[in-house]
Amino acid sequence: MTERRIIDHPVLGKLDEQKKVSFQFDGRTYEGYEGDTIASALLAHGIRTLRKHEETGRPRGIYCNIGHCFECRVTVDDISNIRACLTPIHNGMVVETGQQLDTPLSPDQTEPIPRTYEEYEEWKEKKEQSK
Amino acid sequence: MQDLVICRCEEVSLKELEETAEKFNCSARELKLRTRAGMGFCGGRTCRPAVDKVVHDITGEAPSNDLPLKVQPPVRPISLHDLGGSES
Repeated sequence: MTERRIIDHPVLGKLDEQKKVSFQFDGRTYEGYEGDTIASALLAHGIRTLRKHEETGRPRGIYCNIGHCFECRVTVDDISNIRACLTPIHNGMVVETGQQLDTPLSPDQTEPIPRTYEEYEEWKEKKEQSK
Repeated sequence: MQDLVICRCEEVSLKELEETAEKFNCSARELKLRTRAGMGFCGGRTCRPAVDKVVHDITGEAPSNDLPLKVQPPVRPISLHDLGGSES
């Protein structure tokens, strides 16, 4: 965890004097230091994909890193759309990534368009089977 | 270069924007409605200057604050919870 960190900083001090904080990211436990943001703590572990694009599923991560672009939004303790680049980690925090969503109304898909939730469930099942 | 993603929220590439602007000789607003560039989660605050530039280069429309891609409150995307809704 320390190979991607500055171990002695003139302003922030020495790394081994910092307090460790552990948190969960997509079911796995990671360690960071007090004052880390979610994004910086994960970056120190080499994790750069913070979510997937809702429609295309392509990876998204830190983009502006100042809270402007919302590219790094994640779900924190069941609250959605929290910016990973601005939110400090704390012990026991549960972070979840956004995943690719279904596109039942897309003109590209060949199945009949579902009109009710029941039809949508069937649509989803069919899609699972065809995989 | 053409594959460059301009609007990351809606994943619209430079190529898509340029082709659409050329084909329909779009205003900035029309380009936004046709491609969805600037209609995503961040509210178009990230890609707006780039979209304005594409339109300006192709149709000569100068970026303005009147209607096309104006900025309006709330300046940041916020949840209804933050506005004082009940417990989440």
